[in-house]
Amino acid sequence: MSKAEAALAPADEAPKAGELPRGGSWWRPAGLAMPGAQGGRGVAGRRQSAWSRLPTWFRRLIVFVVLVAFWQFYVTVKHVNHLVFSSPSAAMTAVIDGWRNGQIAHATATTLEVLVIGMAIGLVVGLLFTVAATVTTVGKDFVMMMTAMINPLPSIAILPLAIIWFGLNSKALIFVIALAVVWPMAINMSTGFTTVNPTLLMAARNLGLHGSRMIRDVLIPAALPYTMSGIKVSWAFGWRTVIAAELVFGTAGGSGGLGYYINNSQYFLQIPNVFAGLITIAVIGIAVETMLNMVEKRTVVRWGMQRSA
Amino acid sequence: MEAGDVPGERDAEGPGGTMAARGSERGATERGGAEPTGAMESVLLSVDGARICYRLRKQVVTAVESATFSMDRHERLMLIGPSGCGKSTLLKAVAGFIPLAGGRITFDGHEDLTPGPDRAVVFQEFDQLFPWRTVLENVAYPLRVVGRERSEARAIAERFLEMTGLTQAADRHPHELSGGMKQRVAIARALALEPAMLLMDEPFGSLDAITRARLQRELKAIADRTRVSILFVTHSILEAMTLGDRVVVLGSPPSRVLDIVDVRGLGGPGDPRYVETQAHLHELLGATDEDLSGVEG
Repeated sequence: MSKAEAALAPADEAPKAGELPRGGSWWRPAGLAMPGAQGGRGVAGRRQSAWSRLPTWFRRLIVFVVLVAFWQFYVTVKHVNHLVFSSPSAAMTAVIDGWRNGQIAHATATTLEVLVIGMAIGLVVGLLFTVAATVTTVGKDFVMMMTAMINPLPSIAILPLAIIWFGLNSKALIFVIALAVVWPMAINMSTGFTTVNPTLLMAARNLGLHGSRMIRDVLIPAALPYTMSGIKVSWAFGWRTVIAAELVFGTAGGSGGLGYYINNSQYFLQIPNVFAGLITIAVIGIAVETMLNMVEKRTVVRWGMQRSA
Repeated sequence: MEAGDVPGERDAEGPGGTMAARGSERGATERGGAEPTGAMESVLLSVDGARICYRLRKQVVTAVESATFSMDRHERLMLIGPSGCGKSTLLKAVAGFIPLAGGRITFDGHEDLTPGPDRAVVFQEFDQLFPWRTVLENVAYPLRVVGRERSEARAIAERFLEMTGLTQAADRHPHELSGGMKQRVAIARALALEPAMLLMDEPFGSLDAITRARLQRELKAIADRTRVSILFVTHSILEAMTLGDRVVVLGSPPSRVLDIVDVRGLGGPGDPRYVETQAHLHELLGATDEDLSGVEG
């Protein structure tokens, strides 16, 4: 469930965290969505339009279909130059062809591999910085200073330097991604570590917990809501950075990720392929965000440490 | 966990006969029973001129001027006083969270106290449980920390959940419990560690009157059964008289011990001695009947 939807739904209709199984069982079945039917979501003193009585997935589907239909209609009727703009049908054909001949699959695998390695390094280094900042004052000063200085800098700006340092290969990309990820991770996790409930800490100390076991068994789980939002921010930064880096990098002929695929397709005026690349990027973005939200639901939301994401 | 499960067991205690009386709570006080150190055996905790200060905006404030009292094994000692008198602070010093500015606290023959599971604490706040662990795991995890095997920890946890009436809630997470249930889990967690002493810092202070009264009854029953030593901080005279053996009364800050009142063997509110003791405690705390009529739970 997206934030947008949670914001759109009236508060008293929103599912209460942990009380109902996840995955939409609180959605009214379409059969109950008739005017006058007493659905579970009815709010006293508020009349709902027929539209808002429809199930959420159905409303979204309609919006999506209308948008795509308009797109197709516009391109067909206006006879838009195919070297400038594609119809959705041409874009979908390009997506299917691209997956069939392996070009998009290869590009996606290349991009995700670089991204996963870069993010993993960023997460681990971010955790180490957090631990250092929690344990020592010097570490805290260091992390505060570095985040203040480097976090506002889009890490893509480091790419030219990274290419000089690491050469024209995926190491430069990994470095840039790790740099994009490490600071939001460090900020979020150290906030999580420092705001752990003092009573919980005392209870843990009372058990004789300290040192690495305290970190592993108490601080890390207690900071998980912050860590999760750190991962979400990191993912957003990392994903944008890797595509941008590939757009710049790809023209030089290095690795063949999705950014490179888009750039290359544009170079040869294969505009449907450009659209196919964009669609792939958007779909992966949605998929990963959905996955992260699911992880949140099963952990911090289920444990009552955070309200529904 | 009815109060009448093991009637009269507390009264049946005698020197050397205590281990047998403990029955199913085997091992609960291994520490206590294993070291016969002669005359000192009966004294578990002794607080001797303890002075506690804290820093408030560059000023050093004395919370406890000088506190002196001692507590026997299996005793339930209540600490009572006006708010801000340092009774919670004193308990935290016994727990090892706060250093002393003067005086001594001797627990089980040791003076340099660091936090440890031999003095398990039940706090007032509901959020003392680990939110990411189920009720069962919350009770079993500390046992793992003190070195029990996984299956053993689980078995002990289940036993203490049963004792506190939580078996049905074993697989729930803390945020799915009411305040009273959370405090029961905290009590079960502390008891399961089989501590030499249970430290309770107004554990029922945030509960409604009905739940509080019920938990007091249950705690009393469990304490009668397990004979666990309890140092209990409260601001309620009624609670102190219901649960305690003796009541240590602290004055206003910087506080001293005003009196130590024995409340054992008092009958109900019908007993003249009960009324007399209650009046004495009221007087010590400087409260009028009017002040107290509304707040006593």
